This record gives sequence, structure tokens and C-alpha cells, in this order.
Amino acid sequence: MAQTRTGSNLIWNILSYAVLIVLALLSIGPLLWMLLTSFKVDDDIVTRTMVYFPTRFTLENYIKLWNQSGYPVLVINSLVTTTLTVAICLFTGTIASYAFSRFNFPGRTPLMLGYLVVRMFPAVLMIIPLFIVMRNLGLFDTSLGLAVAYTSFLLPLFVWMLKGFFDAAPKELESAARIDGSTRIGAMFRIVIPIARNGLVATCVFVAIAAWNEYLFALMLTSSTGSRTWPVGLQLMVGEFQLPWGMLAAGGIISILPVIVLFALVQRVMVAGITAGAVKG
Amino acid sequence: MATLSIKGVRKSFGAVEVLKTIDIELEDGGFLVLLGPSGCGKSTLLSIIAGLEPSSGGDVIIGERNVNDVHPKDRNIAMVFQSYALYPTMPVRRNIGFGLEMRKVPAAERDAAVQRAAELLQIEHLLDRKPGQLSGGQRQRVAMGRAIVRDPDLFLFDEPLSNLDAKLRVEMRTEIKRLHDRLGTSIVYVTHDQIEAMTLGTKVAVMKGGVIQQIADPQTIYEKPANMFVAGFIGSPTMNFLSGTLERSGGTIVLRHGEALLALPGLEQDVGAHIGKSVVAGIRPETFHPGEGQGTLTGTVDVVEPTGPDTMVILSIGGQLLTARLGSRDRPKLGDTMTLAVDTAAINLFDPDTGDRI
Amino acid sequence: MSRGRAMAALPPPRSTWDAINPLRLLGELSETRYWMYLLLLPSALLITAIVLFPTVYGFQLSFTEMRLNRPAGNGAFVGLKHYQRMLADPIFWLSLRNTAVWVTFSIVIEFVVGLVAALALNRNLPGGKILAVLILVPYFLPNVVAGNMWALMLDSRVGVINDILVRIGLLHEYKAWFADPNTAMATAIFVEAWHSFPFFTLLIMAGLKGIPADLYKAADIDGAGAFAQLRLITLPMLRTIIAAAVILRVIGLVNSPDLLLILTQGGPGRSTQVLSLYAFQNAYSDFNFGYAGALSVVMFVLLMLFAWAYIRLSKVNQD
Repeated sequence: MAQTRTGSNLIWNILSYAVLIVLALLSIGPLLWMLLTSFKVDDDIVTRTMVYFPTRFTLENYIKLWNQSGYPVLVINSLVTTTLTVAICLFTGTIASYAFSRFNFPGRTPLMLGYLVVRMFPAVLMIIPLFIVMRNLGLFDTSLGLAVAYTSFLLPLFVWMLKGFFDAAPKELESAARIDGSTRIGAMFRIVIPIARNGLVATCVFVAIAAWNEYLFALMLTSSTGSRTWPVGLQLMVGEFQLPWGMLAAGGIISILPVIVLFALVQRVMVAGITAGAVKG
Repeated sequence: MATLSIKGVRKSFGAVEVLKTIDIELEDGGFLVLLGPSGCGKSTLLSIIAGLEPSSGGDVIIGERNVNDVHPKDRNIAMVFQSYALYPTMPVRRNIGFGLEMRKVPAAERDAAVQRAAELLQIEHLLDRKPGQLSGGQRQRVAMGRAIVRDPDLFLFDEPLSNLDAKLRVEMRTEIKRLHDRLGTSIVYVTHDQIEAMTLGTKVAVMKGGVIQQIADPQTIYEKPANMFVAGFIGSPTMNFLSGTLERSGGTIVLRHGEALLALPGLEQDVGAHIGKSVVAGIRPETFHPGEGQGTLTGTVDVVEPTGPDTMVILSIGGQLLTARLGSRDRPKLGDTMTLAVDTAAINLFDPDTGDRI
Repeated sequence: MSRGRAMAALPPPRSTWDAINPLRLLGELSETRYWMYLLLLPSALLITAIVLFPTVYGFQLSFTEMRLNRPAGNGAFVGLKHYQRMLADPIFWLSLRNTAVWVTFSIVIEFVVGLVAALALNRNLPGGKILAVLILVPYFLPNVVAGNMWALMLDSRVGVINDILVRIGLLHEYKAWFADPNTAMATAIFVEAWHSFPFFTLLIMAGLKGIPADLYKAADIDGAGAFAQLRLITLPMLRTIIAAAVILRVIGLVNSPDLLLILTQGGPGRSTQVLSLYAFQNAYSDFNFGYAGALSVVMFVLLMLFAWAYIRLSKVNQD
């Protein structure tokens, strides 16, 4: 009995490794290929026979992208939009999430459900009216307008995800702080938020990545280099030039670099937060 | 130091009434234990005293001050929580001093106070650690340190020992009693553990369903429980309830339970009105003795449970099971017929309809 | 403790500054009964302004004429005109069918791959943590990058996948995956599944951690094999989490045309035209906001109906 158990365990372990390694290769293989492509000269990309490793290692694609395509402006626009989005979520979402986590009040459940249902609204259904409203308010084609639009789907997500982290801090801590002489707001800032700090950072990073990556709203709500973000700019390059694969690859690599770095930094906490938020949702 | 009066305090969550008109007076320096099963409302009452939850009506008066509209931070109380609620991001020193910090006590004075509290609780060596690095018992001490350093009018304890293992619980129980004797501050202490209630309280309020069943000193609660709930809740093993009819036989009053007759001489209660009616006799296990006496019961031995110092013998008397706490040497055999004398002066009679003591 | 310490326990003295100190006032405000509502107010206002108002406006738009490129007659109430047009619009029906295919196949593949990955990761093998991070990477990649990356690899002239498939003999010549109506949808579904399966992995892994190990021990003793355990313990215990994941993914798949917009723009022909894409193109390319609004409303209603039916069926309400 013991022998067959160990035997079948071994088989399952080998199978698991096989599955995981194949999936891992499949997951990062395309990324590696893009990285490789970004270092190739055009002759190595467009060839009769496939060139796997660059015959000549070059940074030309990056230099061209940086100098000729206006990519730095796009990246800066994206940075501004992302920062604004995170700031709005941070200021309005943190306190809302705290209220949902800490207090029981009439209307709590329907309100929370409301924040959840908002995620079901089709982006297209909101993009059109937002387009008109933003145009009337003079927010069309501005970073602030785009950030506000992002808030429409990222703020509810932020609130739900952060609530999971707040829930993890015992309620008795605030009671203790209030008896110790804190006001409620004092207890929130001195005790609970420091405890949920990692979760707060992870939630912000999650929202930042989503805002950084977003394409559809940006396509609709920006029209000039004044506020256009990098995903729109990168996609426009596909049409502008005759498929500049090397530059596209370089642009892709540059743009996902911050995502990869942030993800690596907080992935453990963030993963916990995504799952917690979704499970409760 | 202060007195505490609770006058007609009520609390409902929506349609659910968790506290129904609670009245309690606690003298200055007293030790009030709120005792009851979970869901009896004792923790809610404590939260109302602390101001963490608003009451639905009634007054809470600490000292001379009606604190209904006073925020918890201004009530000058201190509280020890079941989970200890130590601030995980702060070292022990700052945890203990946090209340003083919030009240803008100068750092030097604060440090001195923290030091004194730490010495009193023997946790000086832990002052620079984070709560996460402490054992359960150490956290408990820090939580108490945080309470006593403030020198409040009133201490509130919310099941402070229930997260400790059995040995530590006894140790900390003694510690709390010693602290109360030394500091003399009034305490309200919530627990579901009757031993804690009996050993610590100068006054015990037994609660059930949002109502105080009885409020008295521990001895009275034990010896003269106000109703069958209190009688059954206090004492281990629990009190035996023997139902029967009261009869007058010659000069003495007798309880008839089927075939069995139990003479009840020396009964303290006035039962004149209940002759001929059915009653429930509450008999504590330790009031049984082997041998003959004025009142005796005879039954068949059903189970024998030696516990070391005592032997618990469960007798079947006319189909009803009674537990007797006998000496360690008294080890009857199963199925034996056994006659036990009862200290009839210690018997309480209850009305079977209302459950109240007659 | 000396009695003198009681002095320190009193609240700090009031001064003129104290009376107007905003921090103190905020502190006082936080002790009132309405504090939680105050905390919720900013986000609720924001969501009302940028979600509820646009949504209502969007519903309204679907009953009006709104073409930005033809300003005449804009804003006129046209009743059910757009909806009537929709019923007679063959592209709408085709998009609806394509949406069903797109969502169903993507979900099934993502779920199966996600489940297998989660089960494998849950064995806590050495090195599993690193593999887990690698497997999660696609989920955090932007659609634009993921889409173009695969477009590069599947390109009919320079695509490395074509090269590999030809080399191992599965293909005779390079194939234009996205240009062939027969393969475009399947290829797009593959890219979508690649992009989003980690979401299922993430959630299922979290769910697996919540299943008591004793259940599997008991099943072992009862002689249940691996597949019996999966069917009788794992999947039933994961029911709620799978239901949540499926709903969230269906919403995402129905609502976001991003990846198809990048990969195929609905082509070739209309073989990858889905509803959200059709609605977006009506708004973005044709500026026909009224019709696009009507299409979005139909999408929204269908999604709501789906979510409601799905929740009823999987009985997530019960827990």
C-alpha cells in the first residue's frame, strides 16, 4: 500500500512538473521572443529563413523608437494618467473601503453590491456618454479626463480589493485605540492603515498596472499627443509604418518593464488581494 | 477610581433586542463580573459601557458623570480585549504608552509610567519587542500593562483569559486578582467561565437572553441561585434537579419522587404554599455523603467517574440520574444499590413552571 | 501607580487654536454617527458621476439620434428605431453568434488550463513558487503588447510559430492565421486564453488552500482515486469560487473588445466580429452613438440575464 502510494505520488509529481514547465514556457516564451526581436536588426527579422538568435545584437530599435516616434511623450502621458488614477482611487477609495470594512450601517450591503455591479457595465456603454460628457466639460483629450474615466472601473475594484486587507486587521484594534484616546479617524490613520500598508501598496500597484495597460478608453478619449498614452501610440505605429516589428517589440519591452518590476515587487500580497476580493465578491 | 451605575440600559439591533433594561450598581473599587453563555448580551453591555457602541436607551454613569454622550476616548476607561488587540506595528513600549501619548503626556513622564507598569507585570525585558514576537501569556500581560498605565476610573475586561491555555489561565487569573487588590480600581469583567466569576468577582451578574438573571456576591449566587438557569449554570458538575411533589409527613416536609422519599428538615425556604404541589429540588453534588442521615436517597449506581481527589457517582433514582461527588475512596460497583445522605439545608426548591426559586 | 497620574488622563486643554484646528474638528466629526457616510461620500459621488450618470445617459442615447459626423437632427428622440434596426441587422446577429463562440470557448479553455495549473501548483513542489510567478505573467501584460507579440509570432512571413510548425512537419507552408476566416477566431481565442487563464489559476489556487486536508485523507482511506477526489471533493468545494471566476471572466470577455480590436478588427470578413467590437466601431469609426448605445444596452441586458441565471443555477446565493 505504502509503496503504491509513493509510486503514484511520484507519477503525479512528474506530471505536475511537466504541466507547469510547459505552461511556464508558454507564458514567458512569447515575452522572450519579443525581447530577442527587439535586439535584432530588420534583416534578421524579415528573412527567408527564420533567424532565432540575432546575428548582430543591436539597440537600434530602442534608439529609433525613442528619438523618432515620440514614444517618450507617450510614456510620460501614461505616467501622468496612471498617477492621477491611483491618486483619485487612493483618496476616495481608501476611506470608502475602510467604511465598508469597519462599520455596519443601514444600506451597507446594497451599496457594496452597487460597487460590485458597476464592474458589469460594458465599457462601450460608458465610453460613449463619457466621450460626450468629457467633451462638454473640456476634459476630452486630457490626462485628467482619462484618469477620471479609468476610475469608473478601477475605483470599485480598488475598494473591494482593499476591503479584504482591511478586514484582516481585527476590529478590536480600533476599539482599543479609541479607548486609549484616539478618535475614529485617528485610529484609522495611526493603527489600521499602517497594518494594511502592504495591502494598500499592492492594491495601488494593481490599479496602476491596469491604468498603465488600458487601451480602449484611451483610444476613444484621447486624440492628440497631448494626452495619448503609450498603448494607443504603439498600436498606431502598426498602421503608420510598414510593420516595424523591431520597434514594436522595443516599445512593448519598454512599456512592460515597469509592470514586470512592480509585479515582481508586490506579487505575493497582490495575488492574495485579487483572490480575496474576488472570493468575497 | 469611580462607581458605575447602569440605569435601564437597552440595546436592539433592528428588531432583535439583545439587552432588555439592565440595571447595575457597582461600588467604588468593586469587581463586577458579567457571566453568561455566548449570545447573552454581556459583551454588548461592556461595549456600551466603553462607549464603543451606542445604547438604545438608558444611562451609563461613571463616577458622577453621565457618559451617554461622551466618546470612548474621553470616558477615562481602559479595556483589555479577548484578542489583546495589541497594535502589531508598534513595539511593546509604545503599545503600553499609546494611551498616554494620545493624551499628550510628556515623553519622560510617559516612559516612567510605562516602566512602572512593566515592572508591576514583570515584562520589562519585553519592552522593545513587537507583539508578534510574544507568547500568548506575554501578550496578555502587555494588554494589561496598556490598561493599568493609564490609571483609569474603570477597567473593562472582555474575556481576557479565554485565549490562554489552562495552566496560564489560572496563573493570570491570580495575577488579575492581585492587581485589583493593589490598584483598587473598579473593574467590569466579562466571562463565560464560572470559576473566573466565582474567584474574581465581588459582584456577579448572571445574564441570559439580554436579561440579568441574578446579581449578587458569588457566595449567594452559588448557595441561593435565583432560578434554575443560574443554578444550572454555576457549579461543576452541575446541580442536580430532582422533580417531585412536596408533602407534609408528621412534622417534616418530604419530597416524593415516585417511590423515593426525601425528608427535608432544616429547609430555609418557606414552602407552606407549595405543599401538595410539584417542585424541583436543586441538590449540589457535594451535598451527598455516604451513609445515613436525616434525609436520604437510595438508587442504583449507573456510572462511576474517579477524578483523583473525588469520585463522581451517577445514581439512578426512579429513572432520574443524579450526580454525587464522593470521596476518592468511595468506589461503588456498577449496579449496586446505594443510599446517600443529603445535607438538606443546602437544598434549593424551585417552581417547575417559572423556574424561579421558591 | 501614584494617584497623581490621573491628571494626565484628562483631555488636553482647549484653546482658541483648538476651536478651529481642522484636525481636531475632523476628529470630532469622526465620532459622530454619520462618519461612515462621510467616508463613503467622495467615492459614491464619483461613481454616480462617472458610472451611473453615463449609464443612464447611455440608455437614453439608445433612444435618440446621435451622429457626431452629421450634426443635423442630433438628440432627437427616435423611440425604438435603433432596436428595430438591430433586429433586421444581419451583422448584429452574426456578432451575437460570434460573441457566444468567443466567450464559450475562451472560458472553457481558460478554466481547464487554469484548473490544471492550479492543481499542479497546489502540490507545493520545490520550485513551484517561481513557476507560479512565471505562469501569472501573461495576466499582467497589456492587451496591446500581448496582441502584437502574438501577431508577430503568428505572422504569415516572419512568424516563429509558423517556422516551428513547418520544421516539425505539422504545416507545409507558413500560414496566415488571422487572415483565414477559418482560423482567425480559433487563433484569437487561443491568444485570449493564453492571456487570461492565470486568472482562473489564481482564484482556484486560493480556493484549494481553503479545502481541509483531512477530506483528502478520508478519501484516501475510503479508497477514492485521484479523479474521484477531483470530482467528489475538489470541484464541489470550489463551486463558489469557480462561479465567481466564471462570472467575472464572462463579463470581461463580453465587455472588452480590446484584444480583437488589436488582432483582427473583426475580420477577415466578419469572422471575428463580436458585439462589443461592433458597438465600439459604430461609435469610434462611424460616430453613430445612438446605434452603438443601443447595442451596448442589449449587451448589458444580456449580461445581467446571464449573471442572474448563472448565479441561480450554481446556487452561490446559498452560502
